[in-house]
Amino acid sequence: MMRNNNSQTSIDASVRPTQGSWLRRFFQVREIPILLYIIIMMIVFSISINGFLAVKNFENISRQITTIGIVSVGMTLVILTGGIDLSVGAMLSFAINIGGQVIVQGWPIWIVYPFMLLLGLALGLINGFLVTRIAVPALIITLGTMNIYRGILMVITKGRYITPIPSAYSALGHGFVPFIIFAVILGLFIFITLRTRFGRNLFSIGGAEQSALYSGVPVRRYKMIVYVISGLLSALAGLILIGRSGFIQPQAGTGYELNAIAAVVIGGTSIFGGSGSVLGTFLGSVLMALILAGLTMLAVNPYWIGLITGVLIILAIAVDSLRALRK
Amino acid sequence: MNNRVFNPRATSQVRTLLILAAVNIIIMVALSFLSRTFLTYGNMTAVMMRMSELAMLAIAETIVIISGGFDLSVGATMALSGAVAGTLYVAGISFPVAFTIALAAGVAVGALNAFLVVALRLQPFIVTVATMSMVRSVVYALLKGNVLTEFPEGFLNLGYVYLLKIPVIFLIVAATAVLVIILLRRTIVGRRIFAIGANERTAFISGIHVKRIKFLVYCLAGLICALGGLLFTARIRAIIPDAGLNAPLEVITAVLIGGTLITGGKGSVIGSLLGILAMFLLVNGFNLLGLNPFWEVIILGIILIYVVGQESISRSFGALINRRKSDRPISTS
Repeated sequence: MMRNNNSQTSIDASVRPTQGSWLRRFFQVREIPILLYIIIMMIVFSISINGFLAVKNFENISRQITTIGIVSVGMTLVILTGGIDLSVGAMLSFAINIGGQVIVQGWPIWIVYPFMLLLGLALGLINGFLVTRIAVPALIITLGTMNIYRGILMVITKGRYITPIPSAYSALGHGFVPFIIFAVILGLFIFITLRTRFGRNLFSIGGAEQSALYSGVPVRRYKMIVYVISGLLSALAGLILIGRSGFIQPQAGTGYELNAIAAVVIGGTSIFGGSGSVLGTFLGSVLMALILAGLTMLAVNPYWIGLITGVLIILAIAVDSLRALRK
Repeated sequence: MNNRVFNPRATSQVRTLLILAAVNIIIMVALSFLSRTFLTYGNMTAVMMRMSELAMLAIAETIVIISGGFDLSVGATMALSGAVAGTLYVAGISFPVAFTIALAAGVAVGALNAFLVVALRLQPFIVTVATMSMVRSVVYALLKGNVLTEFPEGFLNLGYVYLLKIPVIFLIVAATAVLVIILLRRTIVGRRIFAIGANERTAFISGIHVKRIKFLVYCLAGLICALGGLLFTARIRAIIPDAGLNAPLEVITAVLIGGTLITGGKGSVIGSLLGILAMFLLVNGFNLLGLNPFWEVIILGIILIYVVGQESISRSFGALINRRKSDRPISTS
């Protein structure tokens, strides 16, 4: 069952929206509605809030986007293949906390960073191995590993913060560095998903796994790689988090899985896999950050953030399922 | 239609239950050797009390999973009922009314889940992830992030009431379990829940009101979770905003350990309860032996993956040993 209405998947030229007026074609591009929501929210907030359009405010918003955004890119790839990764927050926390243990022993930063990334990679590899070798839904596997990773890190760190961190680590979290990293990651994965064989095959695995297999796609290997990327990017987001906060806490990354899934589905990626885009996820995370920032400036109690996130997720998947039903 | 689905005495299921019961007994025997305090009356009733709210959530989750659904919002619903009851009581509403409204709040969450899953045809997993976040946020807002302890004395003393030397809270759980077992095994509605979980399409074609039954299932689950939340509140004499935060993992693990199929159509409440019991015996053992409690979540995670993937794990290890190089994917959805 292929439900490919994404104009950018370029699996087959015939799925591109070529019929109808240019206006209709314009709206059939998956990312356009989100872009419109973003513009509408910007207009609404800049009218109702003084100083919403200030540069300082945008700096704050975009700083929030970077960490979750990087995690969401990995989540997008996983969801594209029809899987899900609930362990992203746990992998982030595991990588920086266990990796952080060696900071205290005075290991230099150029060893610590690769070590942390390697931890993320290893955890992703475990996820990928379990998902491809065991006939259990990815949801259950990663629900399990999420708790295994968090449990192990709590046993090892005994819940202690790692502080102080040498000032060299703050470089990744300040100034334009996080944005540059995020932009590079975005560009890289937009390119990979749209212009490489690996990327195209992710869509076909998510669309119809059996067909992909029969047409010679190494399904297992690709799925494995996708979970590894998710682990790696989670660890990378962790590095930026250390740079920003200046300490390492065991609870780091709590709730990231929810926010990442929200950004992905709001960005128009189908939760069933097979269609979506990294660019959409980026726009989804921008929209979420924008709404949250606007509500914070409107002095809405932060307790309601979870409610808003939940409503946004449901709206996004409802729209997606309507789109599927109309087909 | 598979006949075994309706037969509670299906052999494989009985075997699962027997194994689980044996595991429980082995843990108990081992712990009573390792720790002198384990097999005391005080410790036993403490275990009974502590497992009560999770047992309630497990009963609710079992019904939902048997019907082919999934519910991650159980923990949040549990916290919601305590928070609603407490907030209304503080606002001056008489406690019986507040108690009823708290139960209704649970049903409301269930109805919301059902509406999204049944009417809008959304995936239960992602829907309940969203409603979990929404309900939790309502709980935080109601409690303003604080612990609420203002409940009537009579309600808070429920934890100290014993009937025939058994905590009354545990008896409420047992009564709920019996009622749900009767519903599932001895009524038409129960049979239909199994039928929908086994094959929704077939059930629909054979004339079952699939939507109506699913609606009922989610609402009933919400009600049981809400009752669990009130028992929890009475037991710890307060309601905390983070109540039931880990519950989805614990409950789903217990339900799946208990032999309920993740795809629906097969399962038992007794199995889920034995699963919860095994978990609490382990936790209790860790406490008595002075081990780090975080081992619990690690072990739970491993058990969860192992139990659900049992068959395919042994198969894939076999494949590894035989060095069969097949790139056959295993469908996961």
